[in-house]
Amino acid sequence: MPTPILQVRDLRTQFLTDGGTVTAVDGVSFDLFPGESLGIVGESGSGKSMTALSILRLVPDPGKIVNGQVLFHDQDLLQLTGEEIREIRGRDIAMIFQDPQSSLNPVLRTGFQVDEAMLAHGKSKGEARARTLELLKKVRIPAAESRYKDFPHQLSGGMRQRAMIAMGLSNAPAILIADEPTTALDVTVQAQILELLADLNRELGTAIVMITHNMGVVAGLCSRVLVMYAGEIVEQGPVEQIFENPQHPYTWSLLRSIPRVDALRHERLRSIEGIAPDLLHTPSGCRFHPRCPFRIDKCFTDEPRLEEVGPAQQAACWVTMERARKEMGADGLKDIRPGAASGVRPGELD
Amino acid sequence: MAVTAAAVVVRPITPVQASLWSDAWRRLRRNRLALAGAVFLVFLTGVALVAFVYTPYPMAAVAVAAPYSGPSAAHWFGADVIGRDVLSRVMVGAQISLTVGVGTQLVVLAIGVPVGLIAGYFGGWIDSIVSFAVNVFYGVPDLLVALLLVVLLGHPGLDKIIIAISVTRWMDMTRLVRGQTLALREREFVEAARASGARPIKILFGHILPNALGPVIVQATFGVPAAILFEAFLSFLGLGVPPPQPSWGSMAADGLSAIRIAPHMVIAPSIALSLTLMSFNFLGDGLRDALDPRSRR
Repeated sequence: MPTPILQVRDLRTQFLTDGGTVTAVDGVSFDLFPGESLGIVGESGSGKSMTALSILRLVPDPGKIVNGQVLFHDQDLLQLTGEEIREIRGRDIAMIFQDPQSSLNPVLRTGFQVDEAMLAHGKSKGEARARTLELLKKVRIPAAESRYKDFPHQLSGGMRQRAMIAMGLSNAPAILIADEPTTALDVTVQAQILELLADLNRELGTAIVMITHNMGVVAGLCSRVLVMYAGEIVEQGPVEQIFENPQHPYTWSLLRSIPRVDALRHERLRSIEGIAPDLLHTPSGCRFHPRCPFRIDKCFTDEPRLEEVGPAQQAACWVTMERARKEMGADGLKDIRPGAASGVRPGELD
Repeated sequence: MAVTAAAVVVRPITPVQASLWSDAWRRLRRNRLALAGAVFLVFLTGVALVAFVYTPYPMAAVAVAAPYSGPSAAHWFGADVIGRDVLSRVMVGAQISLTVGVGTQLVVLAIGVPVGLIAGYFGGWIDSIVSFAVNVFYGVPDLLVALLLVVLLGHPGLDKIIIAISVTRWMDMTRLVRGQTLALREREFVEAARASGARPIKILFGHILPNALGPVIVQATFGVPAAILFEAFLSFLGLGVPPPQPSWGSMAADGLSAIRIAPHMVIAPSIALSLTLMSFNFLGDGLRDALDPRSRR
């Protein structure tokens, strides 16, 4: 087992709002290994983006990291001074964002913005410029020399995201965090960007943390995946295993809700019943119990912890899908309303 | 119909290489009033520069014409109470007005831009202090503050006037830049810059300020005539530039006592002042339309 380059331990990030305290990230722990690509999936508001922003200490106001450790090469990023963490950002851990339209400064030339990421970490202007051109070619931007001088609005969405990736890679970081990098792009461009990230991951050995709500993206790029729900990790493990044999009912529902080309024509698109919980009033016990078809009485009161459910696979569930399959007939399940399969207070959406 | 390959003409698509500035310039040129204002200001600047080396008569020379004499071929704008040439004095007055107007705005920019950026970006107690100071300065009458400063700073002179006016005028710019910064700091490109390890100073001046430059330029353009008017007012009250330096304000004040017999003494500097103020305001309006991306025409 190689040693992880990033170890997140019991990370907790809260927002103090007028309505009360919202815990966006609640006791998240995971490891990232050199050169791997890790997916973090979950619905909007599950805390996946906040986890990423917390790693680089970029949580927006009024958010605060209240607990935990983020160990990078054995130093805790949460203990560094402002200047020390600034040095880490972009140099050791880079981040790219969802909307390439708005993550480039509209009044500055594209190439110049890629240069800047290097100038911030002590490269000279000439070095930066040469490397920018090289990077623009590497991310497959055609006519890199002339694109260098273009303003962001003169580039297509895909090209802008390529430029962002070039910027992210400019200092050859050990880790690249990609926060939904394909969400704002159309499907064909999405595929190209994912392919590019996969190639860069292989060629440069940059570890990639891919944050997405799209299971398809995870399947295409990642080797390991964390599934987040309501600020917590509910399941984690190798991608093939999670896809073939999900153990948490939430993961199972997520996978069932992917639209399939080979689905029968009369089959309706499946969704997950209910809505994501309001983090101001997190449900007691297991946070997924108000939406879970397989819930048992214990789920209402006791919070499950992550436990081994297979080789290198952990899930936080009192029931787990293995039991749900055997005892509740999960495979042929049509009615997925809460409690429908287990018969525990069925139908109510509490 | 036979379509041959040769008939297909490949027309290269020329991308519109429109940066914000060339786009703004194109729109400014179409605004006649703004253009007229700009032309007049270029002319006025030329006059002010020429006045350093040439005026028809020395501006302080007395009795070059009969006192109170009206416009004539030798003295286009007539003469004043002690027979000085009014045209020569209006020309030198242009120097004073432009120096005060532009000088004040430079000081206002030097204060307002960094203070507004820092208050808007960092927020917290820094912002509270800045906002409090802005409100205090808005609260006290600007004329009172300026008068007090002119008196307290001692020896009257252009630099003192510029300082006095700047002290009463820095708040608008500070508030504008602070507001722009508050909006811009939430934009994703600022977050992206932070994530790439950019220093705060780089984010402020390299990312936020360039995006706020349009409104800042417009505000500064409107600030110039306000400062010129304020100076004319101070000089009118006798607290402006020391004699024999002519200011349009003090010239109008001198002429006021004789307005029935020699109205040209008031009219000449007043027209110069009005044209200048109007030109700056038209130019400011034009710049506002040209630099506002939402008013694309």
